[in-house]
Amino acid sequence: MSAASPQRKYKLADQVDFLIIGCGASGSVLARELSRNGFSVVALEQGPWLDRKQFSHDEYRVAAQSLLTNNPQKQPTTFRKTPNDKAKKQSAFVYGRMVGGGTVHFTANFWRFHEIDFIEAGKKGTIAGTGFADWPITYTDLEPYYTKAEWDLGVSGQAGVSPFDPPRSKPYPLPPMPVKSSGVIFEQAARKLGYHPFPAPMAVISQSYQGRLPCAHCGFCAGFGCEMGAKSSPLPTMVPQAVATGRCEIRPHSYVRKIELDSKGRAVGAVYFDENGKQSLQHAKAVIVSCNGAETPRLLLMSKSNQFPSGLANSSGLVGKYLMFNTFTITGGLFEHQLNEYKSIEVTRILQDFYELDAQKVGFYGGGGMDARFVWTPIQFAAFGISPHLPQWGSEYKKALQKYFTRTMYLTGHGTSLPLETNSITLDETVKDEWGLPAICVTYKDHPDDLANQRFLVARSMEILETAKALDRWSFPVEEQNYGFHLLGTCRMGNDPKSSVINAEHRSHDVPNLFLCDGSSLVTSGRGQPTETIQALAFRASDRITALAKKGEI
Amino acid sequence: MTNRRTFLSQAAASLGLLYVTGITPELFAQAHEHAKAAPRNLDGQPFRFFTPQQAADYEAFAGQVFPTDDTPGAKEANVVRFVDFALSEIEPQNKENFANALKALGEQAKRTNPEAKSFAALASAQQIEAMKALEKTDEFGTLRFYTIVGFLGDPADGGNKDQIGWKLIGFKDDFYYAPPFGYYDEQLMKEQKEKA
Repeated sequence: MSAASPQRKYKLADQVDFLIIGCGASGSVLARELSRNGFSVVALEQGPWLDRKQFSHDEYRVAAQSLLTNNPQKQPTTFRKTPNDKAKKQSAFVYGRMVGGGTVHFTANFWRFHEIDFIEAGKKGTIAGTGFADWPITYTDLEPYYTKAEWDLGVSGQAGVSPFDPPRSKPYPLPPMPVKSSGVIFEQAARKLGYHPFPAPMAVISQSYQGRLPCAHCGFCAGFGCEMGAKSSPLPTMVPQAVATGRCEIRPHSYVRKIELDSKGRAVGAVYFDENGKQSLQHAKAVIVSCNGAETPRLLLMSKSNQFPSGLANSSGLVGKYLMFNTFTITGGLFEHQLNEYKSIEVTRILQDFYELDAQKVGFYGGGGMDARFVWTPIQFAAFGISPHLPQWGSEYKKALQKYFTRTMYLTGHGTSLPLETNSITLDETVKDEWGLPAICVTYKDHPDDLANQRFLVARSMEILETAKALDRWSFPVEEQNYGFHLLGTCRMGNDPKSSVINAEHRSHDVPNLFLCDGSSLVTSGRGQPTETIQALAFRASDRITALAKKGEI
Repeated sequence: MTNRRTFLSQAAASLGLLYVTGITPELFAQAHEHAKAAPRNLDGQPFRFFTPQQAADYEAFAGQVFPTDDTPGAKEANVVRFVDFALSEIEPQNKENFANALKALGEQAKRTNPEAKSFAALASAQQIEAMKALEKTDEFGTLRFYTIVGFLGDPADGGNKDQIGWKLIGFKDDFYYAPPFGYYDEQLMKEQKEKA
C-alpha cells in the first residue's frame, strides 16, 4: 500500500456505486471525479501502488524488472502481421502497470487533439479498406475538459503562439519549461524554413503548483517515475484527491479476469485475483473499464457468456478491432558544441505545421507533429540511440560515444495511424499468462499511407537538421511496426451500435451499466501524444455518467 | 546521511530553485535522497554464475567492446562482475540465454581458428574477426547489450565502477540542474541579456 493510506475500505459484498477497473490515466480521473460527486467507488488496479520515494534512476533495473510496466515474463503476448500469419510469442506492447498507469513513466508530452481529428473522414472522405470514421463528439464538446485536465493536473506551456493551436478557453496554468539546446537549434532552423515552432506543452510543473514540488531538471522523465512528483501524472494528483473524499478505495494488485452479469444482462461486479492469487467478486451498481487499449478489449473478450458468446458488449464484433499505435520517426543530428540533452525534460520545442497534410498534394492521407528531443539515458543511447552508421563496438565506438552523447539531438515525428479492422487485439488460447488466462495476440500492419507519412516527416526532419548545420545527420529506417507504445481504438465510440462499441456517453451499446473509457474509446489516432485526449475524455465521461446516475438512468 | 543531505540542500539552494515559498531545501533534498543508492562494490567477489572459462571468454569479449586504450574500458568498469551479479540477482531468467550466447561465441572461436581452445585463447585480431562474423546474431546482441549495461549502468548495481563509463561519455547523474543546460541555450540566454 502507499503513503496515501489510510483510505476508506469497502467489503466485497458492498454494492458500491462504481467499480472502476484500471487506475491509470483515465481510471484515476474517473475515480476522483465520481467520488467527489458523492458516489462510492472501488478502483481495482493490477499493478502496485508505488510512492515516489520508491522511484530510482537505475535504468537497467527499472526496465529489466518491469518495475513500472507490464511484465513480458508473467504476461506473454504473441504477434502476427495479418490474420493469415501464424502468431509468434513476442513482446508486442508496453503499458503502465501500476496506480497512475502509463502516465507515471511517460515523456509528459501533453498535446490536445485538433478540431480536424474528430471530423476528418466527413471532411475529406472515408478511405477504402479502412475504418476511417468521424467521432460522435467534436473538439468543441471536449474543449472544456482539455482545459480541466490542464488545470487539474498541472501543465506547463504557452498558449497563443502557434497558429495551428486549436481554440482554447484558458491559457496553461504554468509557464513553459526553460528551453534546452535542442529547442534553440530546432526553433532557429525551423523559423528559417518558415515553420512555426513553439514551447512544448508538458505535463511537468515548471513552478510549485497545488503543494507539489517543481521540476528539478534531473533528466529522467521518459521511462521513469518522478521522484519529485513534478510530473503531472495522476499519482501525485488524482489518486490522493480521490482517496481524500473518503468515498474511494484504490485496491492495487487486483487482476480482473471477468465481469459478471445477472440474468437481465446487467453487470453486477468483477472477479479478480488478489496478490495471493485468491479470487474475489467485488459487487457494484455499475462497472467502468479503464484498463487500456489492449487490456480493456481482452477483458471483454474473456468475459464471454451465454448471453454474450462472442465477448461482452461485442454485438458489433468490433471489440479489439481498429487497433492504432500511432507512428514515430527518429532523425538525429550531431552538433559542434555540447548540448547536454541528458539534462531536464526531454522536449522543449515542437511544431505542428505538418499536422494536416493535403492528400491531393502529398499523395497520401496523414499528418503529424514534430519535436526536438533526447530520450536516451546512457545505456539506451549506447545500445540503440547512437547513429547506426557508426561503429557499434571497439575503440572507435568508445570514441563515438565520447563525441556524440553530449552533442546529439533528435527530431521525432509523431504521425497518424489509420484504423484497420485487421489490426486487432484477440485472445491467444495457446499461450497463458501467470494466472492461467489467455494471452493477448496482437495483429498489426501499418497502412501504406502511414508509412508514406513517416517518410515525409523524416524528409522534413532532415531538411531542418541541414538548415541547422548539423555536422552529421541520420535517420532510423521507416519500417512496419511490430510493437506498440500507444494502444488506441479497440472499443471505439460511435452513435451506431453496429459500427461502434460505446456511445458518446462511454456507455456500452449492449450493457446499460457498463462503461468503457480509455485509449480504446478513440475513433482516430490523432497525431501521437494521445494522453491528454484520453484524460479529457475521462473528465467528460465523469460528467456524463454523473448526470445519468443522478437521473436514475444507469 | 547527514552530510549528503546537507550537500543536497546546499546544491538546491545554490541552483536558485527555491524561489517558491513553502519549499525548503530539506524538502528538496529528501525528495532525491532516496532515489540515489550508494555504489555497489563487487571487487573480489567470487563468481556465482560464471565458470572460470565463461568468465575468461566474456572478459575477452567485453574488452573488445570497450577496450582499455587511452581511456579505461570494460575491465576497469568491472563489467564481468556486474554481469555475474545481475544474472544471479536481478535477471536470473536470462541465465540460460546468456550461457547460450557464450557458447555461440566459443563455437565461432573454433571456426575462426580450429586450434583455439576458447574465445579467450584467441589472439586479439582473431577475437575481432570472430566477433565480426557473429555481429548480426542475437547472441552477439545479448553479449553486447549486457556489456553496455555493465559499462554505463547505475553504479548501484556494481558495474560502471567509479563512474568510468559515465565519465567517458560525459554523463552525470546529479539529480538537479538549472539552465543553461548546454552551449546553445547558454548563447541564447546571453543574447537575451544583452538585448535587455
